[in-house]
Amino acid sequence: MKKLFFMMAAFAAINTVKAQDKQFTKTGKIIFDATVPKSPENIDAVNKSVVCVLDTKAGALQFAVLMKSFEFDRALMMEHFNENYVESGKYPKAEFKGTISNNATVNYTKDGVYPVKVKGKLTMHGETKDVEADGKITVKAGKINAVADFEVLFIDYKITIPELVADKVAKTAKIKVDCSLEPLK
Amino acid sequence: MKKRINLKRIFLIVTVIAAAASLYGYREFNRKNKNLHDVEATANLKSADIITQFANDEKKAMTAYSGKAVAVFGTVKKIDKDEKGFYTIVLGDNESMSSVRCSIDSTESSQAATIQSNSTIGIKGICTGYNADEMGLGADVILNRCVIEPAK
Repeated sequence: MKKLFFMMAAFAAINTVKAQDKQFTKTGKIIFDATVPKSPENIDAVNKSVVCVLDTKAGALQFAVLMKSFEFDRALMMEHFNENYVESGKYPKAEFKGTISNNATVNYTKDGVYPVKVKGKLTMHGETKDVEADGKITVKAGKINAVADFEVLFIDYKITIPELVADKVAKTAKIKVDCSLEPLK
Repeated sequence: MKKRINLKRIFLIVTVIAAAASLYGYREFNRKNKNLHDVEATANLKSADIITQFANDEKKAMTAYSGKAVAVFGTVKKIDKDEKGFYTIVLGDNESMSSVRCSIDSTESSQAATIQSNSTIGIKGICTGYNADEMGLGADVILNRCVIEPAK
C-alpha cells in the first residue's frame, strides 16, 4: 500500500514538473513599426492578443498572431495595412516556430535577466522565412517574461509597398515581442 | 470680356474642387477608429454560439464576422489586466477550454474594472479571427477594441 502511494505521489510530481516546463500567454504584445524620417506620422501598431508557448526544458518557442488584431491609431492606416499590404482577409495569421539556441544558459528557477538568441521560421503573408533574433528572458519571483526584437524585410514576405508611398514607409519593419508568461496547468 | 469671366469662373470652380479634395484628404488621413458604442453590431450572439460556429466552419464564420462589430453575451470566465492597465475579459463556459477573448478598448478601462468574474455581461468588439487549438491551450475567438454593452 505504501509502495502504491509512493508511486502515485511520484507520478503526480513528475506530471507537475512537466506542466511547469511549459509557459504560455494569450495576451502577449507585438509592436510593429515601419516609420522612416519621411513618414508624415508614426507608422506603428500594437497587437495585444499574441498567443505564445515556451517549453523551458527544450527551449522551443512558438507564437501565433492574428493580423487583424494590430491596432493603429489612424483608421486609414489600419485599412491600408489589412487590405493592401498584409492582405489579412487572405492571410489572417502569422506564426513563428523556433528555439532558444542558448536555452541551457537560462536558469528558469533563479531570478535574473538572461540574454538569449532565438532562431526559427516566421510564416506571414503565405511566405515562410528563417528568422534570428536577440532577446532576453527575465525571471522574477517565479514569473517569466520573454522579450525579443527583430526586423522583417517586407519584400521577403512578398508584401509590396505602392510606389506612391514607397519613401514614406520603411522597407524593413521593426518588430518587438513582449510576453509575460504563466505556467501551463 | 466674356472670355475673361469664363476663365474666372473656371478658376473658381477648380479652386473649390481642390480645396474640397484637400479637406477630404486631410480628414480621411486623420480619421480615427470609431468608438464601438457608436457602431451597430452586425450580430448579437451568445459566447457558446460564436465559438461553435468558428469550431464547426472557420471559413464560413470568418466571412460572417471577421472585421465586423459583433456583440457577444456570456459568463465572465477570467479578467486579465496587464502591467500597462489593458484589460482582456474572457467570456465562456468555465468547464470548456474555448473562449471569446475580448481585448478592451483603453477608453473603457474604468468600466472594465467594475466587471466581476462569473457575472453575465455583453461585450461589443471587432472580431479579428479565431485561434484554433493548435498549441493545447484551447480555441479562442478574438474581439478587439471592445466596449461593455449596457445591461438591457
